[in-house]
Formats: sequence, C-alpha cells, structure tokens
Amino acid sequence: MKRLLLLFAVLALVAGTTFGQSAAAKKNLEDSLKVDVSVLKAADNQPLIVLSTEKKVIPARPANPEALPETDPLHWYDMEYAGWNTKKVNQPKSPGDGAIGKKIIFIVHGDHPWTTACILGAKKVADAYKIQFKALSPNWDLAVQNQMIDQAINERPDAILLIPLDAKTAPQQARKINEAGIPLFLFNTLPSAEAMNYCIAWTGPDDFGQQRKLARVWADEMKKRNADAKSIGVAYVQHAPGGSPYYARCWGPMSELSGYAPSVNTLIKDAPGFDADKASQVVGDWLTRFGPDLKGIFAADDSAQAIGIFEALKKAGRNDVVVVAAGNSRQGMDLVKQGKLFAITYQTAEGDGALAVKTASDWFNGKPVPPVSYIPQKIITKANVDQFYPAQW
Amino acid sequence: MEDKLKTTDGRSLRSGSFMRFMIVVGIYFAAALFILLGAVLQATGVIRGFLSVQNFINIIDTVSMLGIVAVGMAFVTYSGNMADMSVPTTMALTGIVAVQMLQYGFWPAIGIAIVTGLIIGMINAIVIGRFRANPIIWTLAVNYVTMGVIRLVWVNKQIYPDTVASTAGVSQSFDSIYRLNVVQHIGGNDLLNIRLPMLMMLILVVIGQFVLSRTSFGGQLKMTGASFRAAKFTGVHVESVIGLAFVVCAFTATLGGLAVTSLSRVGAWYNGAGYDFRAVTAVVIGGMTLAGGRGSIVGVLGGVLIIGLINNIMTLLGIPTLSQDIIRGAIFIIVVGINAKSLRSLGRDDT
Repeated sequence: MKRLLLLFAVLALVAGTTFGQSAAAKKNLEDSLKVDVSVLKAADNQPLIVLSTEKKVIPARPANPEALPETDPLHWYDMEYAGWNTKKVNQPKSPGDGAIGKKIIFIVHGDHPWTTACILGAKKVADAYKIQFKALSPNWDLAVQNQMIDQAINERPDAILLIPLDAKTAPQQARKINEAGIPLFLFNTLPSAEAMNYCIAWTGPDDFGQQRKLARVWADEMKKRNADAKSIGVAYVQHAPGGSPYYARCWGPMSELSGYAPSVNTLIKDAPGFDADKASQVVGDWLTRFGPDLKGIFAADDSAQAIGIFEALKKAGRNDVVVVAAGNSRQGMDLVKQGKLFAITYQTAEGDGALAVKTASDWFNGKPVPPVSYIPQKIITKANVDQFYPAQW
Repeated sequence: MEDKLKTTDGRSLRSGSFMRFMIVVGIYFAAALFILLGAVLQATGVIRGFLSVQNFINIIDTVSMLGIVAVGMAFVTYSGNMADMSVPTTMALTGIVAVQMLQYGFWPAIGIAIVTGLIIGMINAIVIGRFRANPIIWTLAVNYVTMGVIRLVWVNKQIYPDTVASTAGVSQSFDSIYRLNVVQHIGGNDLLNIRLPMLMMLILVVIGQFVLSRTSFGGQLKMTGASFRAAKFTGVHVESVIGLAFVVCAFTATLGGLAVTSLSRVGAWYNGAGYDFRAVTAVVIGGMTLAGGRGSIVGVLGGVLIIGLINNIMTLLGIPTLSQDIIRGAIFIIVVGINAKSLRSLGRDDT
C-alpha cells in the first residue's frame, strides 16, 4: 500500500511538473508573440526591421556555373542564389515555446563601426524579447572565429547567429554547429551554397542584387556624361578578398553591365584594403596610367575607400569621373550630399543584425521561417540623401 | 664622440663618414634605377604617365605619412632595438583622442594628442630602456593593450571631426592637417600640390639627420646601437638614450596618426594599421641595420622614396595590391639578408 501511494505521488509530481512546464511554455509563447518589434527604430530614424518587398527571381541553375565566363551573371549563381535551392540537413525542430528568455550567441566577422551598429540593432530586438544576448568578434581572424564557434558550442546556447568570415570555409563552420544540434542562423555575408544546408535560415542584404541596381544607375550617368563615347573605361576598388562582398561588389556590377551597358569597359580592379591613403595611392596611379580613359569608379566601401578615391581625383584635378560606392556610412552620405559620390546603396547595419535576431525569435515562436530573407534595397543619391540622416555609423 | 666610438668598438664602427656617404649614395642610386626602370617601361609603351611632375609629386605625397613615421622608427632601429610595433595603435589612439578633443579647440586637441603619444612613448622608454624588455614583444603587447583601450572607450565607434569640433573652423583646421597646400598657402602656384605632410616629412628628415649626426645624443645613440655594453662601460646613460629613441618614435607616430586621421576625416581604431611593418621596411631599405648603430635619416628618406616608386610602378603595371604585398615582403627579406651577410663579413651579427 505504501509503495502504491509512493508511485502515485511520483506520478502526480511528474504530471504536475510536465503540466506546469507546458503551461509555462505556453505562457512564454503567448508573451513572446505579443512582443512587437516593428515599432523599433534604427539610429537613422528608419524602421529597424523592414523586409525587402522585391521578389527575387531565381533562374534555373546552369549545369556548371563556374564554367561560364565571370562576366556572365550566372557564373555567380551558387553565391548569389545560395540558400534558395538547398536541401536542409539535420535541422532541429522549433521548440515553439517562445523567444523570451532564450540564449543566443551572435558571432560577427570583425571590429568595425558597421559591426558596432549591427550589434546595436540585434541587441534592440534581443532586449525586446528579453533574450540573453552575447556578441563575439574575432576581429577578422578566421582561426579566432573558429575558436569562438567551438566556445559557443560548449556554452550550449539556444541558437548561434553567425556572419561567416570566409565564404568557402563557411560550410565547415555551419556543419560543425549543425552536428552539435544547435540551431544556426547565418546572416549578412553570403556563404558558399553548401553552408546553407546546415542553417535554418540566412538573412541579410541581397548584395548582388543591390550592386546590380547601383551598376545600372552608375552606367546611366556615365553614358549621359559620355554620350559620344564608344567605350567607357571603369575601375573597381574591391572589398577584402574572401567574403561575399569581394565578389558581389565587383563581379555583381561587372556581370550586370556586360548585358545592360556593354560599352562600359573594365580597365582594372584591385583590393587595396580600407585605408584612405592606400586607396588614394592606387587610384592616383590608375589616373596616371589611364588618364582621361578612366570615366568611372565603383568602390566596395563608401567610407575610407571613397575618401581616398576623392583625394586622388582632387590631386589629379578630375571631377568628371562618376564614382559610386556600396554602403551608407556618414562619410559616404556626406560625399553624396556634396555632389562628389554619385550614388551609394542603403545598407542598414542595425537592420541587418536586427533581422537575424528577429528571424531566430520567429523560429523560437514556432512561426514558419523562409530560408532566405533580404533587407530592402535602396539607392541613395543627392536627391534623397537627406532622408537617411543621421547615419547609423 | 666619434673617436670614442672607434676606440671602443672598432670593428662595428669601421664605416666612417665616407662609407656612410657611399651607403646613402647607393640608396639614391637604387632610387634612380627605379626611375630609369619606370622611364624604360614608359618608353617601351608598357606603362604611361610615369615621367611627369604630377606623378612624382603624387609618389612623394602618398609616402609622406610613411616618411614621418619612418623617421621616428629609424631612431628605435638605430638604438639597436629593431622596431616599435606599437606604432599603429599609437597613431590610431592619438588620432581618435585629437578628434574627441576638438570640442575644446584645435590647438588643445593637438596638444592633448601629442601628450597621449608621448605617454605611450614614455611607457615604452621605461620598460625597454630601464628594464631591458624585449622591444618587439613589449611593443606588440602595448599595441594590443592600446587597441583594447580604444575598443573599450570608444566601443568600436568612429568619431567624425565635424560632429565633435567646437566650431566649423576647428573642424576645417583639423581637415587641413593633411590637405593644406603649403605652396598655395604661402601665395604660390596652386598647381604645385605640396601638402603639409610632405613638408612635415622633409622637416623631420632634416632635424632627424642633424640629431643623429651632429649632436651628442646622436653619438650616444649610435654607440648604444652598435654595442650596448661598450656604450654602458664608456659612461653613456644607455637607459635614457634608448628611452628617448622610443619617445621620438611615439612623437612621429603621433604626427603620422594626426595626418592619417585628418585624411580619413574620422577617428577610428584602424587608422595606422600596417604602418609598423611599412616603416621598418623603409628603414631597412634605407640602409639602417636592424642590429643598430648604422645608417642615416637621409638614407631612410631614400628608402621611403624607393617604396613609393615601387608602389607606383607596380600599380602602373597593373600588379594587384595582394601581389604587391608579396613583392614588398620579398624585398624586405632580401635586404635584411644582404644586410646580415655584410655585417657578418664585418664581424657582427645582425641580431
């Protein structure tokens, strides 16, 4: 009889605990679903979280994209459309118990004012959901980022959010996190396609898409200024090699213009880094080398690189060169306002980080999560630059 | 002092004024060869625009900030302490401090930035001069600590002069540290674009050369660099001499940091990155041995110009920056190798 009573008591305790947990989870989910992050604002007074309304058209994959010339947009298929046609592997199921109280580890690529703004945006959403938020920065060191991933796995968070430092190493990193059974969300830079198999979702800018858009605006202006020219010589100041912006911000526009503006002819491209003095030296030498044949410059960065470019143009007494750049830093927007930079892309740093955390929160809340979500694309010119002040970084 | 040097360390100081002159001639001869190479490449149609006044001004202009930093680095190398690896963050910190202090006016900002730089120099001076810490390891550690301080205090944010400065004029003054056209400023032709950093580099070269070759401090530095023990036995206060070399280096790094920050119009942790290795490369190409006690500031200027010419010719040839880095690194290795071999033949190791 005593044993029977004990068994009853244990069963009652287990049932009570389970019911209690389930009730608490239900309450947590209800509370989480009530959180409205759409009211949050970024430092530039734009809404913090806005999704791109443009529908991305996904063409059929060529049999061997890499066999196509680099100036063919489909050569970059596996990078530009990474995540759209993937077979997800070993994906954990959403706990569906609400985002409130979850722990996430947010691993970025390196220290930069952009990254600071990105973390700030992510933190705003995390705070709204009362998520335990831990940001780690490997300061552009791939080996350190790999160590941080190991450290994050050991801490057993509810999710890891990662900006892969190197597109080609990303699959190994993603597989490791996936095999550890920790939900993974990739964001900002595009990894190579295989990495997408191991993550629940990817969020960030459609870097190829917006650079293609910027390229068209750039080409139109160059054609306007050089109406009689049969060939318009241009140069590309590239991003740091390794990450997706290196490809998207050079071959994105280059491949776009091969069809849209075939008269635009690439004279040279180089990745001088992000020092204004180095960019100034390289562009100064290009101006010496190509003289008046150089009609346009496409820069991967609208801050230090753009400053260096305009110093070189000033020294050479050239104000006919059409310069566009990716990003919307304070320096870039000032240059647009001064009429120096012709156009830049709106790339919300805060929104980028915020969308990643929002997507993870939706997943904790049991909502369906698309495999790829883009932040909006906008082109900033002198006509609309005032809308984007104050700059996020 | 020269006599003393010869008697206490005869082998290491075998090179006299004539030898020093010949080394400098050799460096400028090498620079002339690069100009000849550029001229030949232009004549054969491989590159264009090399032989123009504007291009040569550009070359000097683009290396002027490197030249400023290299003058100070040369003092450290000359003292026998190889290099100051804290230069990049000294440049970044002093730049960001200057921008932050623009709220109190231009000159207070510059003054506080210089004091900040000198404090870093003093710390290096005490630890390396007095406690004989390994200069590379110690200054690398200082570099990391300073970076940490910047990241902690400014949270990886960059600061814009015009948002901090007390008035627009103060911001413009800071802007003109890099952009002031000296020739135009004194009423000359605005086509001759001689900017302030170029003038600063030339002034520092003149002062640096005078100090190294014509003052007792220069003689003591030479002796300390050539043979620390011999200098100590001769009565040279080696701690102070080495310490002062690091202070000088921090001072020129501060000037370089101000110019770089003015150019990029932003105070940020990354300003100055890479200047340590670039400055040491210029110093070594300029004929200064890493073992110390040999070389001249005029030679270092030659090294800086050679780097500018190499950069210019490689870019005109269309060689990508990443490949250029490999070539510059290879040149550094070759020069250090030749240097070490010639020192061994003189009875000294380049260690």
